Amino acid sequence: MAMTALARMAARAPVPVFVATGQGWLASCRNLAASVDVAVVTNIREAAILIVAGEPRDEDRDALRRLHDQMPHPRATAWWGARPFAEAGSAIEVSATDDPGPLLRSAFAALLARVRESEPDWLPDDPPNPWQGEGDHGQGGKGMMGGTPYGRPMAMTADDLRDGLALDSFTFTIGPFYPSLPPGLALELTLQGDVIQSARVVRPPLDPGEDAAGACRSMTVGRMLRLLELDALARRCEAVPVEDRDAVNGLKRWIGASCAMRAIPKGLGRLAGDDARARFTRMVAALGDAEASSIAGPGGRLVDLLPGLEWNEALLVINSFSHRDLVALAPREMEQEEDSEGSAEQREGHGI
Amino acid sequence: MALLGQLASPSSWPTSWPQRAPFLGGGDQTVHAWQRYHVRYYSMTLLFIAFEMEMMFMYPWAVVFVAEGMKAMVEMGMFLAILSVGIVYGWREGIFRWQ
Repeated sequence: MAMTALARMAARAPVPVFVATGQGWLASCRNLAASVDVAVVTNIREAAILIVAGEPRDEDRDALRRLHDQMPHPRATAWWGARPFAEAGSAIEVSATDDPGPLLRSAFAALLARVRESEPDWLPDDPPNPWQGEGDHGQGGKGMMGGTPYGRPMAMTADDLRDGLALDSFTFTIGPFYPSLPPGLALELTLQGDVIQSARVVRPPLDPGEDAAGACRSMTVGRMLRLLELDALARRCEAVPVEDRDAVNGLKRWIGASCAMRAIPKGLGRLAGDDARARFTRMVAALGDAEASSIAGPGGRLVDLLPGLEWNEALLVINSFSHRDLVALAPREMEQEEDSEGSAEQREGHGI
Repeated sequence: MALLGQLASPSSWPTSWPQRAPFLGGGDQTVHAWQRYHVRYYSMTLLFIAFEMEMMFMYPWAVVFVAEGMKAMVEMGMFLAILSVGIVYGWREGIFRWQ
């Protein structure tokens, strides 16, 4: 009984959703962030409903499956203008023109009341890397090096950029649905401790198109503010109606008063004479402008700016560029290790 | 608290293998997370210990200094000389440079 009362109270709260953005849906996702029905969360572990907004790119489908399975129970997936996967089961389908808010609310209440079943995993419940080590404890190899404990290779040594000290380097892929990165961008990073040693673009950011320029700008500024621990301002930035000049000007004043620009180290991520602070300042000044900012020809590669930076610095540099600039700065790189992701064959191993 | 949480949970869903993966926005890690990295603040901690030990000795020393006189002064001199070697070493290693 007590749980029923708690569930009823929880159902009145905004629905915690995680948004996986597809091509051409950047502006719609920005509108969703402004909705009072939902609370867009930045970690899938806090979400109850995963919203797939627009068709995901073919190469993002496996990432979406991994993301879904990391969501805690009870959970559901809403397909907003997208076709559900075959394994999605009883999916919540929302047409592209509809407001998903009311449907999400009712689905959330049904989940909490146990009227709606929580979705099972889409990937097989097998160890992603079956035990393959040698020896009694799977330690394998020689000494601390080599072997594949849990079937995953051990980190191998590489020279540190700072002083050439050879210690273990850690390689991972982040994105394309990582909330601190522009939607669609997936990077393969190699770290030594907290410093990036090398970076590679696995998938470029989604192309915002001409129509979504204003929405993308406010989303980028919002991400930047969140990185600077100014969550309230970030939420306000993501929700402010871009056509309301007074509201936008008020927001700009608040951002200026928060000294957010000064929190970005001077000289960080310098490209074509501008550093991250200057780019962010310019982006804030352009808030509310509907037209796309032209690419001023920074002429470089994002991956060349990242080595040597700490993780938080790298995120500041990435988000200091407008979405359109990033599309130009982070093209897909040729040496793709991405094989045919999305294939059933790949899903069997689900490489977690 | 863990027990209360367990009691409050009306039913539990088994934690599956895909759920245990770290959240990387759909990304994946290539190598094992068990790895060695350089604790770069170690030299700063050594400096901290050098100064801390100095103070630990100086407080009791100050109490007996008047009674002991020159003997206590010489002992403190020796102690500071030994500690200074550590500080000079740290200086040479560049720990006073703020990076």
